[in-house]
Amino acid sequence: MSRTLEAPESVATGWIGASAPRLEDERLLRGLGRFVDDVELPGMLHMAVGRCPYPHARIAEVDVREAQEIPGVEAILLGDEVMRRTEPITVLRPLPDVPTVPFHAMAKDRALFEGQPVVSVVATDRYVAEDALGAIAVDYDPLPHVVDVESALQPDAPVLHPELGTNLLVANPRGKGDVDAAFARAEVVVGDRFTIGRVTGLPMEGRAVVARYTPGVRALDVWSSTQLPHLVRMQLAHSLRMPETTIRIMAYDVGGGFGLKLGLYPEEILACLHSMDLGRPVKWIEDRGEHFRSTTHGRQAVHRIELAADRDGRILGMRNTYLVDAGAYNSPFGPPMLSSLMFTGPYRVPDGSVERRVVLTNKTPVGAYRGYGQPESNLVREVLVDRVAREVGLDPVEIRRRNLLHPNDLPWKSVGGATYDSGDYPAALELALARIGYDEFRATQPSSKDDGRHVGIGVACFVEMTGYPGSAFLGKHRARYGAFESVTIRLNRAGGADLYTGVSPFGQGTETSFAQIAAHAIGIDPADVVVHAGDTVGTPYNTGSFASRTTIAGAGAIAAAAREIRGKAIRIAAHLLGVEPSRLEIADGVVRATGDPMVRLSLGEVATEAFFGHRLPEGEDPGIEATAYFDPPANTFGYGTAAAIVEVDPRTGEFRVERFVMAHDCGTRVNPKLVDGQLHGGLAQGFGAGFFEELVYDPDTGQLLNGTMVDYLMPTAADLPEFELEHLEVPSAVTAFGVRGVGEAGTIPPAAAVINAICDALWPLPVRISRLPVTAEAVWRAIEGAGGEAHAS
Amino acid sequence: MNVRVTVNGEAHERDVEPRRLLVDFLRHDLGLHGTHVGCEQGVCGMCTVLFDGEALKSCLMLAPQADGHEITTVESLAPGDDLHPLQEAFRQEHGLQCGYCTPAFLLAALAIERRRQRLEGEELRAELAGTLCRCTGYQHVVAAVERYFRERAEAAVP
Amino acid sequence: MKPAAFEYVVAASPGEAVAALASYDGDARILAGGQSLVPMLNMRLLRPAAVVDVNRIDGLGDIEEDEGAVRVGALARYAAIEFSPVVAARLPLVAEAVTYVGDRQVRNRGTLGGSLAQADPSGEMPLVALALGATVSALGPDGERRVPAAELFLGPYQTSLEPDEMITEVEFPAVPGAVGALVEHVRRHGDFAVLAVAAVGVADGDGRWASVRIALAGVGPHPFVAEEASAMLSGSALEPEAVRAAGEACAAAGDPSSDVRASAEYRRHLVPIYVERALERLKAGSAA
Repeated sequence: MSRTLEAPESVATGWIGASAPRLEDERLLRGLGRFVDDVELPGMLHMAVGRCPYPHARIAEVDVREAQEIPGVEAILLGDEVMRRTEPITVLRPLPDVPTVPFHAMAKDRALFEGQPVVSVVATDRYVAEDALGAIAVDYDPLPHVVDVESALQPDAPVLHPELGTNLLVANPRGKGDVDAAFARAEVVVGDRFTIGRVTGLPMEGRAVVARYTPGVRALDVWSSTQLPHLVRMQLAHSLRMPETTIRIMAYDVGGGFGLKLGLYPEEILACLHSMDLGRPVKWIEDRGEHFRSTTHGRQAVHRIELAADRDGRILGMRNTYLVDAGAYNSPFGPPMLSSLMFTGPYRVPDGSVERRVVLTNKTPVGAYRGYGQPESNLVREVLVDRVAREVGLDPVEIRRRNLLHPNDLPWKSVGGATYDSGDYPAALELALARIGYDEFRATQPSSKDDGRHVGIGVACFVEMTGYPGSAFLGKHRARYGAFESVTIRLNRAGGADLYTGVSPFGQGTETSFAQIAAHAIGIDPADVVVHAGDTVGTPYNTGSFASRTTIAGAGAIAAAAREIRGKAIRIAAHLLGVEPSRLEIADGVVRATGDPMVRLSLGEVATEAFFGHRLPEGEDPGIEATAYFDPPANTFGYGTAAAIVEVDPRTGEFRVERFVMAHDCGTRVNPKLVDGQLHGGLAQGFGAGFFEELVYDPDTGQLLNGTMVDYLMPTAADLPEFELEHLEVPSAVTAFGVRGVGEAGTIPPAAAVINAICDALWPLPVRISRLPVTAEAVWRAIEGAGGEAHAS
Repeated sequence: MNVRVTVNGEAHERDVEPRRLLVDFLRHDLGLHGTHVGCEQGVCGMCTVLFDGEALKSCLMLAPQADGHEITTVESLAPGDDLHPLQEAFRQEHGLQCGYCTPAFLLAALAIERRRQRLEGEELRAELAGTLCRCTGYQHVVAAVERYFRERAEAAVP
Repeated sequence: MKPAAFEYVVAASPGEAVAALASYDGDARILAGGQSLVPMLNMRLLRPAAVVDVNRIDGLGDIEEDEGAVRVGALARYAAIEFSPVVAARLPLVAEAVTYVGDRQVRNRGTLGGSLAQADPSGEMPLVALALGATVSALGPDGERRVPAAELFLGPYQTSLEPDEMITEVEFPAVPGAVGALVEHVRRHGDFAVLAVAAVGVADGDGRWASVRIALAGVGPHPFVAEEASAMLSGSALEPEAVRAAGEACAAAGDPSSDVRASAEYRRHLVPIYVERALERLKAGSAA
């Protein structure tokens, strides 16, 4: 295992920094992607799952007799049998100090959320399987339910898991300094309660699985739409009580993940059981109705937060207590984990305390969703920073200038426990301001008001944890995975390389970025690097793609493997050419003597020699490949500032984002075009959760009211503005090539920036917006709450 | 019942149940997997195909309705080794990430072209609003389509 | 999400379609555009014994001018309406309203007849049919009858059509000099309107309006014409005071509900503002 690092290279050398068109696009553009539903196997059957329609119910009886008679129905599984034959699903990222409540693949006596599997049917096609579900009579006895996180903590709330005695799974306080003293001496204290709505990541491809068990060889092949093939393999082996060696997971193309596809789900277990029982492949494709009810949700939280400051706007302390609505069970990646760690953001906050309380409710379990708690903490803090600015009479930008950490303050250990590595947070702010024309806007704003228009400008600053500070850190937190990435690279006789990675492709562009890094590190063209991804056979054990860690850890592994390969290629070439290895370099696919281009061998020739093994140097083994693991020694942090110009109609609360800018630093950009794509995608989801989307539950029945694509309002192309991006590149000192993660950044600041702009547009009416999503109606209510539109004119 | 349909210029005949959705027919009865399923509720647009040249959502059509009609799917764009210029524009502009929505956007863009419209900016976004994307935030998709229209106009192809 | 089984009948004429409906005794559905029906079938919210496909009936989608009136066949697709020169010339309000419906793919298939039969409480087609005083022809086993739009919509997704009747045509009367305007509030592009207001009027040249009709959708169990407000404005010059009074009358006539898109309270608040906006656009349109 290699833990040495290359010194960060300057940007844009060779293939690092090239906006190379993607290698994976060819098949995707042709409609020849290999998504799970594209898998067609002889004898394949289709599964459908019956689910509890109530938030909480006893399952009195399940009558399958009529369903069994339907022609084409091959098998039916019930909860009793599933619980006997399987282990609960492993929680990969457990909450600290929390007993794990076992979650089996199917409910037996009691279902705790709408959407929980209660029966599964396998038939000759999905249409017949659904007919069978329609013929299965389940006798439910609805039980008292609780779907609101604050109600769940009341003494009279139904307790979901009696063995726990409470719906409060855990309270995790942390902090540093004398917070009470800071608040006592503060001249200004601003606080509020924020509610953040429940959303779903909504990838365009839902979950999917094909399980094929082959008796005799006892091989279980599983195609899964997953972000972590190797970890799912581990979880599946555990749940099925089978050796890992019998299981292969394949995720060749995944239609979006966003954190929802991080871990094993019940349906994968059920499909495997059916396949083992029937000796035939079994396919399950999640339909959208199931997706809204049984794939992990995101974000929902209630925050109470207070900022203490002095008259000059310097933040003296922060207090933040928040409730996370976890749903009915711990999901494999838990509810969001980073709100506490990152709660003070990019500011110099000397004293602070934060406490997370994780609460169970009778709803779909909440898992990781892009941002993992950072959008929530950014929202509540950045909106309050603006209110502090108003209190002390400072421009919202000026207050940030006074509080942002400076480059020479870093590394900085925040009161939340994060050590920010390096970066220039003030430069990101200034870059965003310059791009959006902040000063010019302020100069013209008064005349807009004279014209009767309410136009405002708002900013939000953020710092973002990307990756993990090493596997040991995860070990302390009892995570069931490490922080490393791994690759095997093998030179081939055509002079290119085959790169094997367990990372599954779901849009991040790893095939291309890995090819660029490998090409750069070896000395060949990315078009000659073939990335084999997403199959647990033939790829070294790895963690998966999430937490904005793939490029960070992957680059380290690739660099290490490439170093070995270069070394060997040079040794072999030196031997064949009869020169000293120190005289040789590799570039453009050729090993040649520096300064003497006639002395050369192509890498293809070198690889062929290694393949045959006829003329190798003494002591050198044949073959030319390397497997390397890279465990990042430390976290690295992305950061940036978002700025928005918004016009508001004070009569209706309707608002329009006129311009949106984000200045961002993800260190060295391996492929700038891909970076832009990741930022756009994250921003779109930030806008979605900020202004459009919310999963709404009926207060009486506890059922999901808008679990359809018609009523869950994901933004279309016509709903989003053009995102204007600016980039800084302060290379990280703790990663190969100086990269920082980027996949989640866009989700973090947009809601706060737009809310701050709305409030600025309506100033001096002291509008308070403290709920997501922010809709026109919500703005209208905030205006009414602040004294009404008459005062806004 | 019997369904005879021309897909990408090729005639096909199959026996199907009336309730068989057109998208399932294309994917599983004809083996054309480029058209995807996203919701079966008529909103996401993953299942978009051209039906007699016009874009529609094939999850909202029953296979028998297609009898006697012409369907165009993404597989028709690049029958040989070279990508269609529209696909090349998507590649150059990074107009796809996971690729699940890509066939739908390609056909939507071709449908606009067939109507002899050259849309851009907000008008283009409105015309594309029937196809969702969760990965790209739409910006590079719009850039790719605009690039294609621009290149076609410059090449003065009628 | 696959439909339950049903029988499938292809009708070659409206008469055949109606006979098929009758033969299934109320348990058959017309399949026209399918943009509302098929999602319901897929979700198994509807499980009819049969589906009667009317898409192959020749002439059922024709759009014709008839001495100033415009007759639009029930099978006319939204897209056909959107791009029809006759509609553009005679019924610009309808051409504009159509662009608010769904998206391009939906508009390529969805039909006017289907939209009116669906009777969505916030539907733009029902709204403009009311605002323009359209008349719907419905064919049943006992023959054809003509139903004024104002008598068609009874409640959410409920019309006065019998289960064995189908809409064949919608006639928009000739109203010389009429101009129209439509405004709506939506949560997301192409979405069902939170509320929509259509205003149609005939200006008499010297700043006064001989007749004005205001219709609203999304603020009651079905779209409706605000009769009192319309009467108030007819004969006026759409002065601010008249507009304000009309807005209040509309708000009083509405009976909005709360749903996931908006609360009743917010809808009620928006009514007079959107009435004002519709009338402003009406004035601006007539000046152009």
